Amino acid sequence: MNCVEFERDLPECIEGTPTPEQQAHLNSCVSCSGLLFDLNTIRSQATLLQEADEPSAAVWNALEARLRSEGLIRAPEPVPIAFPAKVSLLRRWRTAWLVPVAAALAIVAGLKLHHPAGAGDTVPIAKQQQLLSPGVTAKAPVSREDQQWLSTMASRPPAQVARYRADLDEANSFIRDAEQSLKDDPNDVYTQQMLIDAYQQKQMLYELAVDRSGQ
Amino acid sequence: MTDARKLQGDKLTEVEAIERAKQGDAEAFEFLYDLHKRRVYSLCLRMTGNTASAEDLTQEAFLQLFRKIGTFRGESAFSTWLHRMSVNVVLMQLRKKGLPVVPIDETTEGDEEGTVKKEPGAPDERLTGSIDRLRLQRAVDELPPGYRTIFVLHDVEGYEHNEIAGIVGCSIGNSKSQLHKARLKLRELLRANRAEKAKK
Repeated sequence: MNCVEFERDLPECIEGTPTPEQQAHLNSCVSCSGLLFDLNTIRSQATLLQEADEPSAAVWNALEARLRSEGLIRAPEPVPIAFPAKVSLLRRWRTAWLVPVAAALAIVAGLKLHHPAGAGDTVPIAKQQQLLSPGVTAKAPVSREDQQWLSTMASRPPAQVARYRADLDEANSFIRDAEQSLKDDPNDVYTQQMLIDAYQQKQMLYELAVDRSGQ
Repeated sequence: MTDARKLQGDKLTEVEAIERAKQGDAEAFEFLYDLHKRRVYSLCLRMTGNTASAEDLTQEAFLQLFRKIGTFRGESAFSTWLHRMSVNVVLMQLRKKGLPVVPIDETTEGDEEGTVKKEPGAPDERLTGSIDRLRLQRAVDELPPGYRTIFVLHDVEGYEHNEIAGIVGCSIGNSKSQLHKARLKLRELLRANRAEKAKK
């Protein structure tokens, strides 16, 4: 076998095993054995190119946009969330809060219409302290700021003060629940928002009370 | 960390991702894309030799796949399905551009590229140590498009000659013949590259 004959049969030689004749030629021909070696090396190294490169991030971005525009990516169905008891309470409070505030406004408006402020509206100190004391309607001790705020209302009718105190206690209760929930799960975005709402609505209660005292 | 990587961290399987993708789950799509993007993109890049074209074709291949994902029954491997789709997308693009998908000559008679060029007096140094991924990549990029297609499909991607014949529309004999010429051409390019570097 000569080099021309060997090269003619080379493709089969690469894909399979050299015949005895081909092997004899390889043993005697440096050029052909080098050629076979190189072609086998190229063939074996080719798989290095299989996952050699990575597309830019723009490819996925464009692909995702297309998938969304064609409706292949769909927004998940809203899943009803089972809130823990404390958070459920907070949700109910959020709308329920409006009721006592509205009631407080109605009470104040009614009282101011029929009972303008005067000397007779002052409440004895003992009575004030009873109204302000935690034992009357409180569910928990009030803060110093709340005490100060309540003390400004000492001159108000007892029923009004009691109503404000009840609303204040309820607001504080929800704030405590939200704070406790956040201690358990600081990343709970929903409870974070509930806590912000609770403080805002407590502030509204203060403002209502201040408005009333200014009249 | 993207949600798709979180899915990988939670060891989501490909089968689970396919089922979720059928429901329109964005994270599942991204998971499948991340899993196969390198293979598809590398195939497109090898066959076109152009990064911009390769990225466009990658996007198109995945888009076609995801459009049909609802019909995937799991009878064959998902990767096989994707791979075949990618090859078809690339070949369609090459045909659109008028580039030869299959080398034109069917015969090897009198074909200079079918023979080994022997330089008189030149040492027959083997390519040992001369072939690394980068050098081979560059050499493949320099191949004529027709040779490149056959070489990439057979030696890089592992298709058999009968499969290549069916994909590109040539005979098995032609596929074998052109593959041999592609390898010879690559050897020539790699040796020339080595000689150039030796001169510097």
